This record gives sequence, C-alpha cells and structure tokens, in this order.
Amino acid sequence: MAFNVAEVLEIPIGVGDITLERVLYFAVILMVGVIIAKIVSTNVRRALGERLPVNERELLTKLVYYIIIIWAFVVALPQLNFDLSGLLVAGGIAGLVIGFASQSVVSNLISGLFLMFEHPIRIGDNINVANVTGSVEDVRVLSTVIKTYDGIYIRIPNEKVFTSNITNYVHNPARRFSYEIRIRYQDDADKAIRIAKEVIATHPFALKSPAPSVFVDTLGENGVILTAYIWAPARNWWGVRTDLLWKIKQALEENGIAIPFPQRTVWFPDGLEVKGGSGEETG
Amino acid sequence: MFGRYRGTFRRECGDILVEAESVEGLLTYRRRCEGKTFERILVSDTGEVIINPVEPVNLPEEVTNYLQIEFSPMMIEPGASRTVYLKFPVEIGVLVESAKDIKVLDVFALGTQKYTLYGSPTTGVIARWYQSEVYPEIPQVEPFREGVMEFSIHNASHEWAEVSTAVFKGVDMKIYYDEFVAASAMMKILGQGLAETDFIDAPLRPGMAKSIELYTARKIPVIGRGCLMECGF
Repeated sequence: MAFNVAEVLEIPIGVGDITLERVLYFAVILMVGVIIAKIVSTNVRRALGERLPVNERELLTKLVYYIIIIWAFVVALPQLNFDLSGLLVAGGIAGLVIGFASQSVVSNLISGLFLMFEHPIRIGDNINVANVTGSVEDVRVLSTVIKTYDGIYIRIPNEKVFTSNITNYVHNPARRFSYEIRIRYQDDADKAIRIAKEVIATHPFALKSPAPSVFVDTLGENGVILTAYIWAPARNWWGVRTDLLWKIKQALEENGIAIPFPQRTVWFPDGLEVKGGSGEETG
Repeated sequence: MFGRYRGTFRRECGDILVEAESVEGLLTYRRRCEGKTFERILVSDTGEVIINPVEPVNLPEEVTNYLQIEFSPMMIEPGASRTVYLKFPVEIGVLVESAKDIKVLDVFALGTQKYTLYGSPTTGVIARWYQSEVYPEIPQVEPFREGVMEFSIHNASHEWAEVSTAVFKGVDMKIYYDEFVAASAMMKILGQGLAETDFIDAPLRPGMAKSIELYTARKIPVIGRGCLMECGF
C-alpha cells in the first residue's frame, strides 16, 4: 500500500472540518511568528545597546516580541476556522469563563503590566520583596525573577510582588550608612574624629554633600564610641563601606589611637596582697 | 600627548606614559599613570589610536553624567552678564578608531576624584564635584590635570542672585585642546534657585582641536540639551 502524504494531510482531526493540514499550517505560522519575534527582539536589543537603560530596553524588547507573537496568532487562527468576529459575540461569556478559570494568571499579568509601567523596581535594582533580598534579574509578564546575593534564582509571581511591601535600596540616588568606631578613654576623641573625617574625605564616593558626620555617640563600658554617618551613591555604597572601615582603623592606629579591649576594674575592700610574686622570697 | 597615532608610538609626560609597542609580534597598548597600569593587545591593520581629553565623569567608575563645579560666591544683579574663567578636572580618553567604528579603550586621569549629591537624597543627582577659583582671565593650569572653562553667566531674573555652584550634563560637554584643555559654558539664572546651564560648541581660542567625547564614541544619542538646575546654585 503506497503512502500518500496528500491523503494523510486531508484527514479530519474530528473538530468540525479541520484537517491535519490546517493544524500543521497553524503550527507552522505560529513557529514562524516565534522565530521572527525572537530575531526582531534580539536585533532591537542589540540596536538599542547602551542607548537606553537596561530596564527600558528590556521593556521595549518584550513589547516587540509579544506584539509579533499576537500578530502571528491572529494570522494563524483562521486556519482552525476560528472566526475572530465571533469572539466579539462570544467574548462576554468566554471572558467570564476564562476569567474564573485563570484568575491568578490574569492577576499576575495585570500586576506585571503595572510593575512594568509604574517602575517601583527596575532590572538590576537591589530590593527586598516578600522577604526575599537580592537584585532584580527580570520583570516578566507573569513573574519577577530575583537573584539573591548567594546567587540563588527566585521567581516571585507578580501579584505577590505588587501587593507586598517593596524596599528598593537603590531607588534614590544616594543612601547613608554608619560605622561605630570604639576608642580608648585615654585617647583624644577630637583627634580621632579629625582623622576619621580625613580618611573619609579621600574616598571618591564618600559624598562631599551631604557631608559625612563623625561624633562621640556613647561613653561605653570599655571605651568611647564614635559614630560616623557617610553618604554614598546608592549603587556604590557597599563598596565604600567595605573600603573605608579598615582604612579608618589603620589611620587611627598610625596616630596612636587604639581599639579598646573589654576591661573590668576590680576593687578589693582590704587591698590586694600579692604572695609569691617575683622579688618576694617565700619559705 | 593628545593626537592620533598609528602603529607603535610612545608618549611620556611627567607621571603619564602612554605607548603602543610590539611585544613578540603583538601590538600592545600600555598606559601608566601615577603607578596604575593598563594594558591591551591591539589587533588592528588600519586602526588609529586617538588620545584626547574627555568628559570628566568616568573615574574611578562611571556613576553619573553630571559635573558640579563649586566656586567662590558671586552676587549678580538682575539683568547683569559676565564672563569669567573656572578650572575643571581633566580625564584623558584613549579611543581606537577604524573606518567602520570607534571604541573607548582607556580612560585615566591625574589626581583623585570626588563626588557629591546635587539636590535632595530622593530627587537629586550624583555629580562629579570640583572646586575652582573664579578667574577674570585665562588662568595657568596643569595641562593634563585641569582645564579652563570660559563661563558666561547671565542673571535673567528680577532679583539679585548669589551663585557659587554650577551643574552641567557631561553629554553636553564640548572639549577643545591645544596646549591646554578648554571648554565654554553658559549659565542663565531664571529665578529663585532655578538656572539652566549648557556648553557652547566653540573653541576658547582659534586653532584649538576638538575632542571626540565619550558619548560620541559610545554612540549614545543625546536627546535633551542643557541642564536645568532646580535645587539652587
């Protein structure tokens, strides 16, 4: 028995008069659409390069990608004898059914669109949302991808992101951080403050304004506690923080100011009698 | 030091050494500046190395596009105009250019940098900070450390204005050079705490060569022109 491709393609699939050939056409058009979407979006991303911030670039790329996919879907639908004008009639009922069936999907989708246009977070931002801290890798249509500082991939549904408290550590251009610097009681606190300020002033990203502030904060049990408040660009503050503390410690030590060790002064009501110490003869 | 070079070359000025030499058959670009070194192998048949001053907003790493110059306070009466001279920091850019493309190879500078926040922590901008005196004539400068800015200021408001700072957008900067680096800028005071600044695309004196700025080399399109200072001056 000879195998006839044309006859196979004419086989109805059992839904209306749709044949296998039409299903294949539908699939091919969709596949071509996806390929075109991928090529065009890749080229859009490449063309925009450094010209746009990464967030806007990715948003535009996704927009182009999904528009082409939707276009391919609309072009392919007639292959399945699907009359788009019928959607207008059936839209109300179908909408209700789909709405109930895919409530969370739609909710995530709408939340995703709001996130994309409201911009509470952008790709590359350091954030805390839903008790997850890390940097935003991607804001997708249904979910947001966070990479934690340990390098772990976490996908959070957009609805959860949108309804949670979002802490964006880099939303503002600058942020403040602080150090506690302990010195001994016998050290000159004014000198220590001057030295700390001088070290801070040498760092390019310890901002000139708002000016750093170093002051005696607490008279502690074991020493005087100085507090330093330093402003830095929000995206560079961690580097500044890790750079400066050791430099301040080194500068203080070079000037004879030391970090105090825990100490206790013990009083003996009858005085302290030392026996067997060096220089005392026993026996 | 500034100029175009093809193949091997060597330029040394004080603490700066820039060279391209053949190392075991490979053309190698090397820079040494105040003890810091940078090296890249260049694979190029027709390319040229361009060394010229660039916008001073790139070091130690690029965090902003704004330059803030703080100077001695000036009281300016309503309607008055005056041209003075300021100093601004110089960064030296090394670009590689071929017939089809131009790319930034290296940026370096003498001395240290300092950044500041112009405006509030919520709505302000990070800016490269530099302090200058106000000079009535073109001042003497260290050519590779600082440049001369011709700064024209005009008080278009109806009030006296005290001005001690100017903020510029780095992408607007037009830099020229010969024996020293120069730029021309203007500031127009519009009202209480509001002013606009911009750079003027003209050499400070005839015969100066124009720099290829980094935003040109990076092919970044400039949409807006000038900088609106809304947080005081």
